[in-house]
Amino acid sequence: MVPEYLEKEAAQGKTEEIGRQSVISASLDIFRTQQCIAHENGLKTTIQMTYASLFNDEAVAIAKEHHRAHGDEIGLTLLGLPCKEFREKYKTRDFCIWHFSMEDKREIVNDVFGKFEKVFGFLPQSTGSYYMDAELVRYIKSRYPAVACAVATCWEEGPKAYHNANNSWYTLNDGGPWSPWIPSRHNIHCPASSAEDDVGIVAIPHLSRDLLAVFDGPGSFYGTHPQNVLRGMVYKNGEYPYLFNLIDQYRSMDKYNNGFTYNMVFVGPGWMSKQGRWEAPYSLLEKSYQDCMAYYGTLKREGQAEDMTMSEFAGWFRGHRTYTEPACALWKDILYGSRKQIFWYLDPWMRTCVDMNQGGALVDLRPYAAKLQRPVGIGTSHIWDCSYPYLVQSFYRAGYFTHYAGEGSIKSCKVSSAGEEVDLCLCRTRARFSQEGKSRVLTLDPVEIEFTDLTVTLVSIITFPQDTGEIRFSRKILTTSKKGAVVHVYDYLTACHGTTEYPEDLTGVELRCVGPDRTVEIPYAYKCREESMGNVVRVEALVPQVHTKVSAIPLSRDVEGLIREGYAFSPMYTLGLSKDLRENEELVTCLKVEKAD
Amino acid sequence: MPQGRKGRLNFRCPACFVREIDVDMFYDSEKKEYYCLRCPFTGTEGEVLSLNEMVKFRYKNITTRITDFD
Repeated sequence: MVPEYLEKEAAQGKTEEIGRQSVISASLDIFRTQQCIAHENGLKTTIQMTYASLFNDEAVAIAKEHHRAHGDEIGLTLLGLPCKEFREKYKTRDFCIWHFSMEDKREIVNDVFGKFEKVFGFLPQSTGSYYMDAELVRYIKSRYPAVACAVATCWEEGPKAYHNANNSWYTLNDGGPWSPWIPSRHNIHCPASSAEDDVGIVAIPHLSRDLLAVFDGPGSFYGTHPQNVLRGMVYKNGEYPYLFNLIDQYRSMDKYNNGFTYNMVFVGPGWMSKQGRWEAPYSLLEKSYQDCMAYYGTLKREGQAEDMTMSEFAGWFRGHRTYTEPACALWKDILYGSRKQIFWYLDPWMRTCVDMNQGGALVDLRPYAAKLQRPVGIGTSHIWDCSYPYLVQSFYRAGYFTHYAGEGSIKSCKVSSAGEEVDLCLCRTRARFSQEGKSRVLTLDPVEIEFTDLTVTLVSIITFPQDTGEIRFSRKILTTSKKGAVVHVYDYLTACHGTTEYPEDLTGVELRCVGPDRTVEIPYAYKCREESMGNVVRVEALVPQVHTKVSAIPLSRDVEGLIREGYAFSPMYTLGLSKDLRENEELVTCLKVEKAD
Repeated sequence: MPQGRKGRLNFRCPACFVREIDVDMFYDSEKKEYYCLRCPFTGTEGEVLSLNEMVKFRYKNITTRITDFD
């Protein structure tokens, strides 16, 4: 009820006084307006009560009345902790539950949930924050088992959000799912693989983001949050078709997820400040909320959408999804006006992104199979870093390399002939999605590769077999301009690990080239070494820093394997598989992600 | 030199916005200009409003309602 934004704005030029009556009144007024707009459009809401609002009789009375009259759910958010009572008790200005020590987290949870029960006479079924680690959720479930749903993470709000906030947003939150999931009890970002691994809630990301724009831009500009769209200045003459394009693109995700698609809006009162927000006056802030709710209301009336509160949704989700069913999103650019297209995939083994603008290169890979235990907050080694580490993040760690020395993290393929080499990263294409049994298949439009005196056409098919932790890549030569021509096809993964743009020490990484009767190893020491082996069984990297083994396995015969160490100016490693191909021949490889103990 | 204050609306620096950094600007009532605390940008309200339109250059679909998502 008294979000930090509104309090801060109201405090401009005044000394800080948490709980100032004028701020509370303004906040309540905005809250009433938001609720009224939602109800006028026939929509149910989940009212996320803050700790501060539990001390306000009027806020409590409104919530009770809207629960009775409209079926709104009364939930309890762990955002909005700051208030006089909180500061007096905990002697801190921190407002982020994820930053506290585990001991303090437990005490705060007991306080907040206890106060909620005292005020409402029941316990909440939904909760949330910008980030809740698995340790916190496990504690909440142990004390308050009725909790069924939580806003648990913010999608791709890592270094991009930090930079966007002028390096003042001390929370890095990359690497999680973009749509609802049942989290693992070991790490909140990872989907649970089984009932034993189930942390006990359905998690939702803080907002539904633009899966392309936010991968390389600020999360707070491009999401199904009307005022975020205004913050990103994606409007002209007071109109913002982008917001509705975004909602509709989410609606279109049913094609890739067995008919399921999901979208949510989470707007605290501070985003509709009467004083305006950044360049947008209150009138535009309010209009954007009205238009958004009106669109959802129309979709509901037309039978194209169903509104649910958070706990209702949790029940629906558990009844309709299996643990290992992947989430998929073939997403196109709806902002810049390009034909760029990416494909997101996640399951309990990995989250990954394929970029068709770079010939189907894999530009993001998170090894969920490792289920890394990474508690966050004071007293841990990750006070601010809530992100799940990557093995590949091409935008943070260079990707296809245009610099004069070194390599970037990416998984792609190079085709060479007579001393010339072309990386598929430079062959823009588009993809079609299909589901074949339990496999999700991405078929890329063929690309033409032009050498000085030879042109070849190559098609890539990328298959994600469910429940395997594998991705299979087929590179097939469809045509060559010269009969009998041979090209060398080299499928490679250049990887590293980290959560930010900055390098991490690779000492301790083991690179292995495994053949039928011998194994060659390179213990990583920045010595720029490489080893290769004909008729290889697999090449692999053991990365103890993230408890992960990543392997490239040939599924074709007579494939040469390569492992390559980097050097200090190029802190990467490469796993490669290659083979000579003629027309109608293909190289099939498998990328496998496993937990390494 | 007068003390910098917030202006009529809370303008962000357009030069920082194009590099995706949100930095509030302050207003110098004597010079009648906004200025950024981080970069050397200064501009009148009219210039800021004009530049705020210019920073949308990359949003080529800003006025397009899209119905085909294939």
